Amino acid sequence: MGSPPIGKISVKEIIGEDPALVRLIYQYLAWAAFWLVFATALGLLLSLKLTNPDLLSTKFAAFGRLRPIHTNALFWGWTSLAMVALCLFVVPRTSRAQLHSLKVARVALWLWNLAVAAGSVALAMGINNGNQEYREYVWPIEIIFVTGLLLHLYNFYRTVERREIQEIYISNWYIVAAFIWTAVLVTVAYLPWYQHGLAQTNIQGYYMHQGVGMWFTPVALGLTYYLLPKFLNRPIYSYSLGVLAFWTQLVFYTLIGAHHFIFSAIPWWIQTTAIVFSVGMMVPVWAGTSNFLLTMRGKWGTIGRSYSIPFILVGAVAYGVASTQGTVESFRTTNIYWHFTNFTIGHSHFTMYGFIAFLVWGGIYGLLPRLTGREPSILAVGVHFWFAAIGLLIYVSAVSIGGTIQGSDWVRLRPFIASVVDMAPYWLWRSVGGTLMFLSHLVFAYNLYRMRPRFLAEGTLRVEEG
Amino acid sequence: MNFHVNPRLLFGTALLGFIVLTLMIAVIPATRIQKTPPTPGLQPLSAEAARGRDIYVSEGCSYCHTQQVRPLPEDEPFGRPSAPGDYVYQTPELLGTERTGPDLSNIGNRQPSQVWHLMHLCSPRAVVKDSVMPSYWWYFREKDQADPNDVVVPVPAAFAPKDKVVVATPEALDLVAYLLALKQPPLKVMPQAEEAGQAGTSAH
Repeated sequence: MGSPPIGKISVKEIIGEDPALVRLIYQYLAWAAFWLVFATALGLLLSLKLTNPDLLSTKFAAFGRLRPIHTNALFWGWTSLAMVALCLFVVPRTSRAQLHSLKVARVALWLWNLAVAAGSVALAMGINNGNQEYREYVWPIEIIFVTGLLLHLYNFYRTVERREIQEIYISNWYIVAAFIWTAVLVTVAYLPWYQHGLAQTNIQGYYMHQGVGMWFTPVALGLTYYLLPKFLNRPIYSYSLGVLAFWTQLVFYTLIGAHHFIFSAIPWWIQTTAIVFSVGMMVPVWAGTSNFLLTMRGKWGTIGRSYSIPFILVGAVAYGVASTQGTVESFRTTNIYWHFTNFTIGHSHFTMYGFIAFLVWGGIYGLLPRLTGREPSILAVGVHFWFAAIGLLIYVSAVSIGGTIQGSDWVRLRPFIASVVDMAPYWLWRSVGGTLMFLSHLVFAYNLYRMRPRFLAEGTLRVEEG
Repeated sequence: MNFHVNPRLLFGTALLGFIVLTLMIAVIPATRIQKTPPTPGLQPLSAEAARGRDIYVSEGCSYCHTQQVRPLPEDEPFGRPSAPGDYVYQTPELLGTERTGPDLSNIGNRQPSQVWHLMHLCSPRAVVKDSVMPSYWWYFREKDQADPNDVVVPVPAAFAPKDKVVVATPEALDLVAYLLALKQPPLKVMPQAEEAGQAGTSAH
């Protein structure tokens, strides 16, 4: 591959990791990338359908069927698989132990792939679990997913139990707890006995918020508590701040689901509780964000020369800013203008993409070359970074401005169709941003290919000489 | 008692804490909400409308259409504020979180014409010029000539196939039966609410 251009940090250290584990991590990432490209191609198509409603007007590609395929494949396909790929390295490494079982992790990969594939096909056929965001897969498919989740939980818990150091590193607090919380969450979401009529909406608010806040957030944070100090070669700024954020995350996040149903018919006290704790949520959010930023403090030169840390920087900043946006959106006053508008769509992309996906990419670019000994092209990583970042900026700006106009149209009591007409240019800009984002994913997939592991027949890692 | 070294204690506490909070905020309130009696005057769905509702769910209509009217002036065109008892016959719930299209809680009162709904589902832009709704043409058939039992959809010439008539499939009729069944029963305590619901008919 030759030596990297001057000024960029080359990978000096190749981690002597079990080739079988490296290969498995790579399989997870390859599948994650597949779901990313698949689901964001659909996302782009969906965005074009809003400006050209007759585009690809067929039963199996109707807007209402594709939308949940897009969201679920990104949640459970791309993001979850990519996060687990990194966990497969981080949990054993921070426990100074071998992963409990490679086999279990391998089975779980195929269970999750099967769940996302079957779920996507079912949704295209119009088979869903109600139009309830992120739990659209019907229960037989969800059971496949949950089995995978429990296998991971077992695998990681046993790995932590077998650790060769006394303390459980903070990353594993977040990661293992996230698997536990999500197992409870999904169980609560799919048991039917307390979910008739409006009662189901109460569960839906709880589920759709926790699906993000008790799954993606803690796993991504847990990974960052290891990867950021590792890449910067300095300890995390404050370990105890991480502990504080962990417990406040549990208490505050769990109670705020109903802020997705402000002014609805669900009990007023639940809505008020959700708003109050949405403000409380600022404690773990800024404890986490400031912890990461303070860890980076004074290392800005290193960040400029790294191709992984800029992704983490964007992720950390987006975590703080987008979560604060979420708090502001939960107030009754802001709900009058922003609820039901495209502003919410901007928020969900700002968080799932700006925060979670960028942290995951930072982790992949930082870690994978150390595992496989192969680096991606610096230029291609730069293209990925800037296309994704600028694409997201255009996307979020467009739907946030458009959503605000939509909401103010309603408040001014204009005819409803005015809010549709006014969105048209912003939907077009959204497609422009979305195109850049999608292109960046193709580049990412290529970069992943460039970082593929190469093994000798006897299974040892061949390190290329620079 | 050391969370830092005892995984059972650490993760047991995280699990227990999450379960307790989940029961408090989600499950226990849900069991109570479930006991809400239906709003007086609320009708269970007919078999036809119930089939239509299944189509509504499988097409994901509620990604763009809410079924919750908020107690806000901007929501008055859609009907009276939704009450917990309005949802008694609604599982899965279809409150929704986005309004790319208008709220449909009271669409059966606001737009009571079967023909309008059939035309709108078949060819949205034939009736609402700037609509971005997909055409659900797969619930309609083109025929050379309508049979006596067929419900013919009078799609305007510019949107209709040449020398053919468009007829509704049973699915389309079910779906429209559901939309027409979406009627908010008036709340007796708020006599002005019914007027607000009626006034919204011209919201398009």
